[in-house]
Amino acid sequence: MVPKFKPSPLRIRSFCTKTVQQNPHHWPIKQITKTNFNESLSEIKNHISSSDFIAVSLQNTGSFSSPWHRVSTFDTPETAYLKAKFAAERFQILQFAICPFKLQASKVIAYPYNFHLFPRDELKMGMPSYSFTCQTSYLTAMAKEGFDFNTCIYDGISYLSEAQESTVKVRMGNPMAVDHATKSSSSPALSVADTVFIERVRSRVKHWKNACTDSDIKTEAALVTSLRKIVLGGEQFGSRPSMTIDVCSERQVQLVLKMLEDFSDVLVPLIIPAKGGGTQAVRAVLTSSDEDKHLLKRELQTFEFEQNKRVRGFREVIDLISASQKPIVAHNSLNDFTFIHSKFLAPLPPNMNEFICSLRLAFPQVIDVNYLLKDIGPVKKMTNISATIAYLKNRFFAPIEMEIPNQANENEGKIHGHNVVKICQLFGKLCSILKITPDAIESSDDFLASAINRYANIFYSLPGSSQEPTNEEIRGWTNDKRKVSCEDVVFLWGFRERISAGILKNMLQGSHEVFAEAFNVRMVDRSCAIVVFGKPGLSNTFKNVMNSKEVSGPLREMVSDGLKAAGYETYQRVCSSGLWESALADALDKALASHNCLSEAAYETKQSEIYLSNELINLAEL
Amino acid sequence: MKKRWPITILYRAFSSSTTSTTASFPLKHVKKSNFDSALSSLRHHVQAADFVAIDLEMTGITSAPWRDSFEFDRFDVRYLKVKDSAEKFAVIQFGVSPFRWDPLKQSFITHPHNFFIFQRQELPLDGAAYEFLCQTTSMDFLAKYQFDFNACIHEGVSYLSREQEDKALKHVNSTYEDESLDSWHSLKEIRDTHLFNIPDILFAERMKDRLSEWLGGLLRNRDGGSEVQPSFNDSKQQFETIFFKMRPAISLNGFTSHQLLLIQLVVRKHFKDLAYLRVSGENSCSQNVIVYIESESDKKMLMKEVKDEQKIDAEMSIKASIGFRHVIDLLSSEKKLIVGHNCFLDIAHIYSKFFGPLPLTAEEFISSVNKYFPHIIDTKILLNSNSILQQRMKKSSTSLSKAFSVLCPQIALGSKSTHLALQPSVKVEVEVDDIRSSNWNSGVKHEAGYDAFMTGCVFAQACSHLGIDFKQQSSSENLAHNEKLREHVNLLYLSWTNGEIINLSTGNRTSESLASNKRKNHYPKILFECIVIVWGFPSHLKAWDIRECISKVYGPTSVISVYHVDETAVFVQFSRAEMVSKFLDLKGSLDRNNDPISVLHPLAKLLEGGNTCAASYETYKEICSSTVSKVLFADQAKAVGIKWKTKLVESSDKTKEHESLRKVKAVNSDPSCGERTKNKNFDDVSNDSSYSQLSSDEIIDSFYTREAKQI
Repeated sequence: MVPKFKPSPLRIRSFCTKTVQQNPHHWPIKQITKTNFNESLSEIKNHISSSDFIAVSLQNTGSFSSPWHRVSTFDTPETAYLKAKFAAERFQILQFAICPFKLQASKVIAYPYNFHLFPRDELKMGMPSYSFTCQTSYLTAMAKEGFDFNTCIYDGISYLSEAQESTVKVRMGNPMAVDHATKSSSSPALSVADTVFIERVRSRVKHWKNACTDSDIKTEAALVTSLRKIVLGGEQFGSRPSMTIDVCSERQVQLVLKMLEDFSDVLVPLIIPAKGGGTQAVRAVLTSSDEDKHLLKRELQTFEFEQNKRVRGFREVIDLISASQKPIVAHNSLNDFTFIHSKFLAPLPPNMNEFICSLRLAFPQVIDVNYLLKDIGPVKKMTNISATIAYLKNRFFAPIEMEIPNQANENEGKIHGHNVVKICQLFGKLCSILKITPDAIESSDDFLASAINRYANIFYSLPGSSQEPTNEEIRGWTNDKRKVSCEDVVFLWGFRERISAGILKNMLQGSHEVFAEAFNVRMVDRSCAIVVFGKPGLSNTFKNVMNSKEVSGPLREMVSDGLKAAGYETYQRVCSSGLWESALADALDKALASHNCLSEAAYETKQSEIYLSNELINLAEL
Repeated sequence: MKKRWPITILYRAFSSSTTSTTASFPLKHVKKSNFDSALSSLRHHVQAADFVAIDLEMTGITSAPWRDSFEFDRFDVRYLKVKDSAEKFAVIQFGVSPFRWDPLKQSFITHPHNFFIFQRQELPLDGAAYEFLCQTTSMDFLAKYQFDFNACIHEGVSYLSREQEDKALKHVNSTYEDESLDSWHSLKEIRDTHLFNIPDILFAERMKDRLSEWLGGLLRNRDGGSEVQPSFNDSKQQFETIFFKMRPAISLNGFTSHQLLLIQLVVRKHFKDLAYLRVSGENSCSQNVIVYIESESDKKMLMKEVKDEQKIDAEMSIKASIGFRHVIDLLSSEKKLIVGHNCFLDIAHIYSKFFGPLPLTAEEFISSVNKYFPHIIDTKILLNSNSILQQRMKKSSTSLSKAFSVLCPQIALGSKSTHLALQPSVKVEVEVDDIRSSNWNSGVKHEAGYDAFMTGCVFAQACSHLGIDFKQQSSSENLAHNEKLREHVNLLYLSWTNGEIINLSTGNRTSESLASNKRKNHYPKILFECIVIVWGFPSHLKAWDIRECISKVYGPTSVISVYHVDETAVFVQFSRAEMVSKFLDLKGSLDRNNDPISVLHPLAKLLEGGNTCAASYETYKEICSSTVSKVLFADQAKAVGIKWKTKLVESSDKTKEHESLRKVKAVNSDPSCGERTKNKNFDDVSNDSSYSQLSSDEIIDSFYTREAKQI
């Protein structure tokens, strides 16, 4: 693209120590794959520890499969979380961009990295993920940006979540050094069987140890050595002789370990975990001296360290971010952090509260730029970062200088991951507009922290302008915001497909007296609409009418044609029991069907009603 | 083969185009750009061909480990597993290699095509987004063979299935039928409210003036002079006078959508002889025009004209997105003999991707496949079921690459190598883009085009071993009707694991007979009514523990085998069918009684943790039929909505009651209320209702006495 005679921007960059880049397409974002991952780690670590904030941005293989799976204004935080959870569990992260940055007055100093990920099953254990879903539209869009799928799949960095790592450790059956926690200090009374067991093992160990230390062995023939090995059950551990003692229970493990303490001058006990958890055997390794013993212990430690590093892969970076405890800036935090939690921490918990608690342990401060935006005023339909930046540029004078210190980028190919830098830029702008930037760098971090704290950890806020769908289907809704209680919302389905909200509203208007009062209709997808009643209580009247025999007139006609209605609690049940049918109408039908045969039905509805009455969702005005 | 590796890698890496050098295997790579030309040439090749070999590359095989093919798969379960795989994964490469016997050269001529395919959502169809599953290991496997994912996603040929096409056409039809007057109505009710603010009113007034000015000028011109209104055309190019369908019209440019709405309102309110239209222009961006109409009937005519045109456009774009399906339609309409290697899954993929959703049962599937493809031959079956060929294969494995190297060494190694004239060999020449070659290096395994080529070569050679003389075979005769092949046509492995073969033309299922010497049945005959599936047991229990645990209750010969479905579930095969219900009854009662006595029961070890569930084989089938795929079977069962712990079965000989009971069960999917009613129903339905309860009690009793004796 760059003509030959023109010095490429990359070349220039490599000569200066600092560059200020305003054109997003020239931002030097370091692209990281399997090949340069290890060598970049220490550099990233330094940048993370010296930064004020860390921006993250993900490129996933999809987000929502059906229109109604998208998080929308009629979602409560709970249903929004369940939708995000469903997506996070199915789709995959292909690119993970992180950008540690510093804010200095009107300057953002950023160190962007873009990691290419692929969930390769390095250990042949079906991890990190057995399979994942791709949405063709996402892949096509990535292809348009010039994304290299071959690099990603051949050379992407794999990873394991924390939860997976701990199961892997057990399953790999690598010998573990005995730490003091596993040694129980209390010595329970020995039964006869125990004593017999110990004595038998002790004599075997003694025998074996003597045979090994016996210098005569060296002169023996190979055949004899190998015979001896078979007879004594000795084997090699690295270069050292070792012996495996089979155990049948955790108690025997304790007994063996206790017994081995008598030989602690030269023997190092190791625990061989069983595949299904627990212990398979205890291995005693013979060392020649105290020094050798320490050496062995160190060897074991480095071995474990290397192994862990290999197993963790990209999660090393997540761990670094988590360990730094720096505030994290994201653009669509609910979406991004459900993905992060499910891929790098542990499977997602069943509800939002547990999710927030679990996430907070790893990332204490998460700031969503969308939430900051809300303090500025009614910014509508800002799902796109570039559009938001342009919007702010027109309205506020808050110039932000982007400084991206040189990172020699050997990869002359396409540069991906611009979004993360844009998030930094947007965040910088917002901070300056909202005056939460410290004027001087010297001012303490505390000030910043307290100012930022106000915005942290809000994943899904009710006046959710940022979450507002930009689809045409909600055209005709004006922009006044009003909170609507879930109680006043009724889901309607079973009408002719491809009906418009306007026609449906007309049809309803004359059908029953509840529709004499103000109400509004909005399509959720082609199969289902929501009706919002202006006056409290009418929704219940309507639902009761729908279920009674007294239904009459035009409404009866519509019901006979298949019209159905359900309250918000049915929708919540759809989300919580994972009925992710492609049409919401089918999902609601299923939820009703499974609900009808539950004996505790009455109990459950009562509960959700209590829950609902405190629950407000944000809907556009009626 | 391995030694040739570096060359092939280089080839793949550097030549993404279709150029073929002598060093590499000549293969025609087809992508979006050269699809149309490739299709027309392929059409001729297929029409002239004696048979067509095919091969597919997919993004995965099994959506969960427990969906893998097992020896314990009954044929209907096997079909459900294949169905699941074909529905979830995508086909990303399709190899088609038509083979034609050339009597002059006394050799086969083949034209191996390698299509990269990738379904894009090109039509604005509503509903779910197109998505597919990727199995991580399969992707890694493809990567190992240097699969070019970029070629596939960036430049792959898209397609529409017949069903999708029908749906899209229907959608177009209904759109252009409905929209007649609806759109005007709905517009009115929403938009009338907008004229409340002053700027809007002023703008509307201005537009009204301009339009009447234009209209006045137009009428004046028609009456008198022919000059165009200069004053009007000057106004910023926003109003451009054009001719639309032989009528004078204004094309509106540079207005905001809100302004366009206001103009639309003005036109409708004040001008009887103007019509506002929104049409899609040549370069697919929409154009807003105001057309002069002479009368109401003229308006109707105009509307109809525009609508018809739009409809045709829409239909054209649907036709244009059929894409790769043309190849499948070609294969189907030519009724040629299709040759594949272990191709049941391939056929299922072809069906679900290019025809429509897979039927619910294997029988329906088979009969409709037979309609679309009347003659299919599977080389893997051919090699295994014929003794002559087995001899030729020297009992080696019947994997494609192995069969190829054993049966066609002269082709596998390239013709330039010394002729191994030990066996009569069929000559094969490759022609790509009118360049023939009989000289090449081996291609890349697991590239669909090359795999299809290998399959075809194996088939040709196998035919010759079977005594089919191509020299005497007249070109008009269909190879599928050859009597030496007839017994092999339309047989497919339903499952390679247990050698079950299905006949596509009759629907009959047979177990592999001839090859049984190679495949010793490790397992005794599997009786599905003797099988219980158990899941959710403590993770440290292994097959052996479970066997021991159950044997303690029913005796050492009661359990024939315990087979791990995955780490969370096992099949337990009992020696007799009635033990299934006995076991389930016993387990059910143990679930309910949580007293110290049941804790001492030998089964308690299995039930530890309280999450152990058990049911008959039918439940396993039900779980397999779900569209959900969780990695672990226990999670899957939960996701399918199973909340009970034990599903009792009726005695198997009462077939009549079978149905009624099943219905009852279907309703009672909930445990707490279900368990009770189910038991009650047992009493109602079965005559010896006490039987099941009694037998389990007996067992418990006998156990206690034994226990007592020991103490």
